[in-house]
This record gives sequence, structure tokens and C-alpha cells, in this order.
Amino acid sequence: MTRLARPGRLVTLPRVALLVTLALAVAVPYVLRSYYVSILALAFIAGLLAASVNMLAGQMHLVSIGHAGIAASAAYAVGWASHHGYGHATQLALALVVTLAVSAVYGVTSMRTSGIFFLMVTLALGMVVFGLTYRLSRVTGGENGLPGIWRPPVVAEMWQFYYLCLAVLVLAVLALRVVERSPFGLVLRGIRDSESRMSSLGYSVAANKFVAMIMSGVVAGTAGVLSVWHAEFVSPASADFLRSALAVIMVIVGGVGTWLGPLIGAGLVTGAEHLLSTHVERWPTVLGLVFIAVVLFAPNGIVGAARDLAGRLRRSRARRGHPETDTSAGTPPAATEDSVTSSAPNR
Amino acid sequence: MDFEVLLVHSLNGLSYGALLFLVASGFTLIFGLLRIVNLAHGAFYLLGAYLGLATVAATGNFLFGVLVAAFVVSGLGLSLERSLLKRVRGKELPEVLLTIGIAFVIADLCLAIFGGDPQSMVTPSALSGAVGLGSLTYPRYRLGLVLVAVLIAVALYLLQRHTKIGAIVRAGVDDREMAAAMGINIDRVFTGMFAFGAALAGFAGVIGAGLLPVRPGVDIEILLFALVVVIIGGLGSVKGAAVGSVLIGLIDAYSKVWVPEFSYFTVFAPMALVLVFRPVGLFGRTA
Repeated sequence: MTRLARPGRLVTLPRVALLVTLALAVAVPYVLRSYYVSILALAFIAGLLAASVNMLAGQMHLVSIGHAGIAASAAYAVGWASHHGYGHATQLALALVVTLAVSAVYGVTSMRTSGIFFLMVTLALGMVVFGLTYRLSRVTGGENGLPGIWRPPVVAEMWQFYYLCLAVLVLAVLALRVVERSPFGLVLRGIRDSESRMSSLGYSVAANKFVAMIMSGVVAGTAGVLSVWHAEFVSPASADFLRSALAVIMVIVGGVGTWLGPLIGAGLVTGAEHLLSTHVERWPTVLGLVFIAVVLFAPNGIVGAARDLAGRLRRSRARRGHPETDTSAGTPPAATEDSVTSSAPNR
Repeated sequence: MDFEVLLVHSLNGLSYGALLFLVASGFTLIFGLLRIVNLAHGAFYLLGAYLGLATVAATGNFLFGVLVAAFVVSGLGLSLERSLLKRVRGKELPEVLLTIGIAFVIADLCLAIFGGDPQSMVTPSALSGAVGLGSLTYPRYRLGLVLVAVLIAVALYLLQRHTKIGAIVRAGVDDREMAAAMGINIDRVFTGMFAFGAALAGFAGVIGAGLLPVRPGVDIEILLFALVVVIIGGLGSVKGAAVGSVLIGLIDAYSKVWVPEFSYFTVFAPMALVLVFRPVGLFGRTA
């Protein structure tokens, strides 16, 4: 995306589109019924979780199928504190502590793994959290979950809460962009490209993976807090394998390693889940088939496909001799980023 | 805690470990050769269990149920490998996501066909009842399960070490390009192994139906335990699967008695320890 905005041009098509989209998002509560506002808020929350998965998947090629576990831990922290009569500030503080602790466990157990091993470890961790939400019933309420967790009074109305979700999403995406462009982001991509090179340059691969997991975990935890406020309820379903898997599929559908892709993916998947599932009886079957179709036919996601198309268009224009476009600007920047889905594993 | 109670819990753990070995060995064999983390393995187990239940209910023959389940699940695995997984060969993430999609479809169709109520296998007469061990009695079925797992483990070992097929598989694990260059049709070996692993899962499903009631969600639970077992034992290692299964089976049995609320956590703790100190698992090889 960065290179699409060529130097000297402040007003570019993507930027205008972004501003228009943001303006539309702000206008939504004035236009749509509150049911749709609520679903959009859900999509923003899902986008937050997808962005946290994407940070690891895009920067480091570490695909976590267990991030719902982190989000659910934060959600349960809010729920538990709320049930014990603590105020919203304490709930948030506890959610932060729990998020950091759980992310630290994820980080310590996964930091020395990569590729498919990382995926399996996070998967197992997510399932353990899911198991604990069932079995630790004194804390989690077991299968019944914890109902009656009210939102803070400032965001009690759905439209107010919608704006909170939108603001948090925008801030989180910006923050993740800052991290991506920082020296730390560079280290992460260095590790992605060659762990041995980075460690012989003196970087601690494990420590950097750990820190990246903590950062990603904080974003996921934020999504968890928002989701429990959205539903005013939390149950083991929030830590379900399905939730973690959906977060990954959102990232893949949209485009791994792009900031926009996971948000598009989150919108599509959340929309499909809530608008379609009421009409389709065998929803999980449909979902499974969608998984298969996406993997087989759109491995680079929507944004990846759009970039390929844009790159091809620009190159063909350059070949026909348009002086304003030079080919160097047209090379798809996703060349390294999209390889998470297409590269052969290192053996 | 006196000795007899301890012995009973140890036997419970061993028999559960035996079931875990049947599941985990197929999982780890598939990974060892094809490098696919087959997350549909739990769904294969579930499907095998339901098929076994239905067949036994229809024919009354337990052995027949085992054979039908193993055969059908194996055939399903074979056709899925041929039709879907083959298209993304060598790409780790697409392979995993495909198996997730397959798992969703199978589990949901099982729910649609067989319903959501827990069902248990009526154990065959030869294996029902209890055996006296000194002063205590123990279900014969569970002891039989341990015996079956040991037999399978020995058979797998002999197959891998002392047959031509085993040699071909070992060659494929070590260096698939070289194996292919020697004239081995590695594609066919891959498909065969995937079908074999699926057969083991289906087989385990029928056997396990006599131990754990079959219901939606068992697939995920058994998959978690298989994952933990192979992470501890080392991905791709049958020996590791055996050691890990016994370890996890015992830990699970003891923790269910002593700290029931944390029974998931106690399974997870050894996995975390192994990962921190030996990320490739006890018997895993570094890539």
C-alpha cells in the first residue's frame, strides 16, 4: 500500500477511498437500523482479532490458530470482575493483566517454534483455554458462561458502543502500522526471512517472537473486552476452535500481510455468519466448504488478487509507453508478503 | 491413597493412553511422511465411531463394525487426498486450512445424520465383564484396548523396520526427492499413507466408542489430546507417540481424580515444559 502513494502526490485513489469509507463508517448509525449497527460493530471487533493474527502471520509467517483463546481470557477477566462487583476500571485492569499473562504463556511456549509447529502449539493452547472455560466452572460459570456483564454507561447505547469499536479499530490498525514500520518491525521481517541470519547478527529470535506475541496478544485481548461488552455475556463458545479458525480465514480471505485485507475478511465473514446463518441450516458445512474454496481458488486473498491485477494493469500500461508510470512503482510490494500461503516449507 | 486405588487409576490412564496412541500414531505417521498436520483426524475418528455404532447396531458384530469403519474412513481419506490435498502439496498453511474445512464438513454432517445425543458402544460379549486382578476387578474391555494398542505398536514397528513398504516409507520421510529419483512412485506412497492414517483414526473411533461416549465435540477433544501427545513425543515419531500417549493418559487419569477442575491444565503443563526445553519434542528430529 505504501508504494501505491507515489512521492509528490498527496491525493491518491486509495487515500480518497479510505477517507470515503471512514466517512461512511461514521455515518452508519444515522442511516442503518440498530441491528445492522450492532453487526457492523461485531465486524470491527472481528477485524481487531484478525488484525492481531495478521500481525504475526504477515510480519513473521507465524500463523496462530489459537488467538480466540487470548481474546476469551480477556473477556472472562471482565466477566469475572463484573460478577464480583468491581467497577469498569478494575475490570479493564484485570483484563489487561490476564491478557498479558496469557499472551506470555503463548509467547513462552511458542517462541522457539516456527511454521507448522507454531500453528500446532497455538492451536493446542487455544483448545486448553477452551477446556478451562468449561472445567473451571467456579470462575467461568462453566457451560452457562457469565451473563449480565453491562457496558460502561458512556457506551451503553449500541450506537455509542459502535463508535468506540470504530475508534479502537482505527487506533489499533494505526498502532500496528507504526510497529510494522519501526526498527522492531524490520527485525521481525528479518526473522521471518532467515532466523539463522538474524541470530548470527546478534538478535535474539526467541525474545523478539515473544515480544511480537505480547503485542499481538494485547490487540486480541482488546477484541475480547469489546466482544464481551457487545454481547454483555461470555461463554465457552468465545474460546471455541471455530473462533480462532475464523480469525485465520478472515486474514486469508482478505490477504495476509496487508493491513486492509483482514478488515475486509472480517467484514465478509461476520456478515456471512450473521446474515446467512439464520437462513442456512447446515451453516458449519457451508463454512467448511468456503474454507476449502478459499484455499484452493483465492490463496492470496482479495487484496492480494487486487494487487496482482493492479500490478498487471500498470505494467501493461507501461509497456504501451505511458510515461507517467514507471515499472518500478508497479512491482507488487506483496512479493514477499503473500508467500505465507504459497511458499514451500523449509526442510 | 492405597495401592489398589492407585492401580485402578493407573490402568484407567493406560487404557486411555492406548486409545490416544491409536489416534496419535495415525496423525504422526501422516505428518512424518506427508508433512501435513491433519486437523481432520479428529473428524475421521468421530466418523469412524458413528459408522461403527451404526454397523454394530445393524449386524450385531463388533469386528464387522471395526472393519467397516476403518475401511470407509480410509476410503474417504484416500479420495480427499487425491482430490483436494494433492492440489496444494507442499504448501503448509493451505494444507492445514483444507483439513480444517474438511473437519467442519464431516463433523457437521455427522451431527445431521447421527444426531447430537451421546451414544455408547455395546461391548462385544468376549470383551464385556470384568477380570479379577488379585483383590480388585477391572473391565475386560479396557485391558483388551491396551492389548490392541500394544499389538498395533509392534505391528507398526515391524512394518516400518522389516518390510519393503516400511523401507519405502522411511526413504520418503528422509528424502522424498531422492526416493522419487530411485523410481518410487512417491505420490502413491503419500496417498497410501494418508489412507492408512485415516484408517487408524476410524479404527480408533470404533474402539474408543466403548470407552468414551460418542457425541459432537469428541472430535475436537480427541484431536487436542492427539496434538498434545505428538507435540510431546515429537511430530513424525511413532515411538514418541507411544511414550507421549502413556504419559498423557496417566497424567489425565490422575489429575481427573486429584485436581478435576484443572484436568486440562495438567495435560498442558508437560507440553509447555517440553516446548520450552525441547521444542522438537522428546523423540522429534530437527527439521
